[in-house]
Amino acid sequence: MKAGMDANRHNKTISLGFVTVRHHPIHGYFGGYLIVNSLARPLEFHCTLPVQPTRAQQILYGNTLGEFVCGEQIARALVTKAKGTPEVLFSDTPAVLTLRHMQSIPMAVIDSPDEANGSLPRPSCLRDNYHRFKAFGELLSVLPEFADDSERIKRLFDSDKAPLDLIEPFGRIEEALMEAHPATKAA
Amino acid sequence: MSYFDNSMSTSSVSVQSDWFSRELTIPFFNPAEELFDELLVDFSDYCSTELLTFDSLKVLPIQLSQTLPRTIGFAFPESPQWTAPEPKVSKSVSIETKFEEHDDKSETDDAKPRKTITRIRPPGDLVRLEDRLYYVLQPPMETIIQSAKLTFPFQPFPYQLEGVAFLFPRDAAILADEMGLGKTMQAITAIRMLLLSGELKNVLLICPKPLVTNWMREFRQWAPEIPLAIIEGDSAKRNWIWTNPQAPVKIANYELMMRDRDVFETNSLHFDLVVLDEAQRIKNRNSTTSEIVRSIPRTRSWALTGTPIENSVDDLVSIFEFLAPGYLRDDMHLKSLGKATRDYILRRTKDKVLSDMPPKLFRPAELELTGEQRASYKSAEEDGIIQLSKMGESVTIHHVFELVLRLKQICNFDPATGASAKLERLEADLEEIAASGQKAIIFSQWVSTLDILGERLAKYNPLYYHGGVPSNKRDGVIDQFKNDPKNKVILMSYGAGAVGLNLQFCHYVFLFDRWWNPAVEDQAINRAHRLGVKQPVTVTRMMSLETIEERIHDVLEQKRELFNSLFAETGTPQNLGLSQKEIFGLFGLKVPKYQPKVA
Repeated sequence: MKAGMDANRHNKTISLGFVTVRHHPIHGYFGGYLIVNSLARPLEFHCTLPVQPTRAQQILYGNTLGEFVCGEQIARALVTKAKGTPEVLFSDTPAVLTLRHMQSIPMAVIDSPDEANGSLPRPSCLRDNYHRFKAFGELLSVLPEFADDSERIKRLFDSDKAPLDLIEPFGRIEEALMEAHPATKAA
Repeated sequence: MSYFDNSMSTSSVSVQSDWFSRELTIPFFNPAEELFDELLVDFSDYCSTELLTFDSLKVLPIQLSQTLPRTIGFAFPESPQWTAPEPKVSKSVSIETKFEEHDDKSETDDAKPRKTITRIRPPGDLVRLEDRLYYVLQPPMETIIQSAKLTFPFQPFPYQLEGVAFLFPRDAAILADEMGLGKTMQAITAIRMLLLSGELKNVLLICPKPLVTNWMREFRQWAPEIPLAIIEGDSAKRNWIWTNPQAPVKIANYELMMRDRDVFETNSLHFDLVVLDEAQRIKNRNSTTSEIVRSIPRTRSWALTGTPIENSVDDLVSIFEFLAPGYLRDDMHLKSLGKATRDYILRRTKDKVLSDMPPKLFRPAELELTGEQRASYKSAEEDGIIQLSKMGESVTIHHVFELVLRLKQICNFDPATGASAKLERLEADLEEIAASGQKAIIFSQWVSTLDILGERLAKYNPLYYHGGVPSNKRDGVIDQFKNDPKNKVILMSYGAGAVGLNLQFCHYVFLFDRWWNPAVEDQAINRAHRLGVKQPVTVTRMMSLETIEERIHDVLEQKRELFNSLFAETGTPQNLGLSQKEIFGLFGLKVPKYQPKVA
């Protein structure tokens, strides 16, 4: 067992959050947030209505628009709305990481090939100076200003293996987004 | 439109916003007078604006709105731990859902292979978003099975997990996989998972009586932790078993349902799930068995059958009267029927899902009758047709059947001399099969034919498996055939041997005479060609040329092609027998105006 591990780090009591944002060329940005237990069973699910940045926002935020819309608007709305508080937030959308500035749950982005995450593209992100580390068989990234998150994440489970596939929930979220917003299926 | 007028001087100014925790530096600008109104319209959608005066310039600081996007959300009850009790089987496999172990020295994760995942999809008749999302958001089957620590005696095939995922969310379903693909295992696994998840508390499984022991064996193998109760014994014992809450799964047989119909009414029984095995047993919706089965109080209804359409589409409509009463109508066109049932039926065939399974090799044995047989056949046919014609309008389908059956029997053996072209061929093939240490199954629709074959093939120590063999001895016959090397041949009737048995150690099947219905023949063949078979199965279909057998074969082939073309999209099974018109047409007769309905 790794040093500093809390007594409550029994896998069965852990809840994990998975947040993703997808961009539809017509309808805009959709966000989905799934909280699961360590058996990968769903506890809560939230999704946003389509978000389309205004022209003024596009001008104002310029290259940081992705972080503003995905992190400060969508992800923040989702995490705020949820009743549960997971131990960690995983995302496949780097632009979401900016949310870390507004809340205290450790956040990490999982590097994953696009084809593992469905048909709608993820918004691009300007930053690339993340703190990268390997854990549970995946390559994770955290904001450099919150590099300590990496240690907290590594201590999450009792072993080096996560009890669930950390990529798979994003596929579920995208399918759930398509159920909630059928117009996106035509894309 | 550009908001910046480069002819005006501009400077940067710090802007503090309640929205941001950090400063933003944005240029302020002095827009031309005529642009002020436009800008105010643009920006006022999301922020408040005030005009300020900075020195002599008018500037437009922007205070951003704090409204977050609207969300919708659902909470799902925490699921139970889903940990099954320790199974008693010594050998089992667990499904790996995680990635294969990597050598730590591997340089990149991009090369990591992604495993197949089997998702549960909501059925089409679920309307509420929350209900649909409940299934969409479930983890894949592989994850559920691993997290619940479910073990299996053999690794399930991917298509079998898809079958379980198909059944899991459905209140009404037909699993119509081709015989031998493991419908039993899929149903048992789905039941097991639903019991563990708490979505089911009690299940009733109804099957033909000869298959009760088969189901018990399969449950012991695939779900050993589930207590079973077999409905059997005298009336008092059965009544106690029906009402016993200890066993979540009860197994009954069709024959017994008639005797115990009052049990449901007097005891207010209700089942979360009723499963019908060989559901074509209720294809006659007016039969007492069908009525009783439909009247069982239940929430979910599943049907397992390799032949949901045995003779006509009415069979399918009858099964749906059990699954979803009133959903289908008799007058529905074939294509409408296919579309309506698409979401309720799952059918896979061996060639699609088991491409690496040994093939079925068909050897048509098209034989000329012996001289004696031909003389007898010609005489019987001519006399028979004359008699049918003389009967005029009073001729019925039963008269035609009688003639057909008489002629088919002559194709097997000449009634006077016992000569048989088929037997000559069979003896030659069996000599080769026995010499190579293999065994063969021989099917016939007549017990009398099997008896004759038993005498003539005595040197192969044939065993018998037909309606005349007592039920309690049948399992012993199969065991002996499997284990005793002296018994090279087993003689089976289509009725007794075509359903539910596993004979995958046998690689040669002979259809001594053909059944009316290709579906029943397929079932017979699949006693041998099923999961677990290690070699190709050779199927010899015996047919006498220029006889009624050849004419029946031609009609069935035409129907198969027609049905294929209609049901190609939906994948609905393709087996049909002969209609009245076709049966009369075998002798060039027309159907009389008034005909009693055939049961």
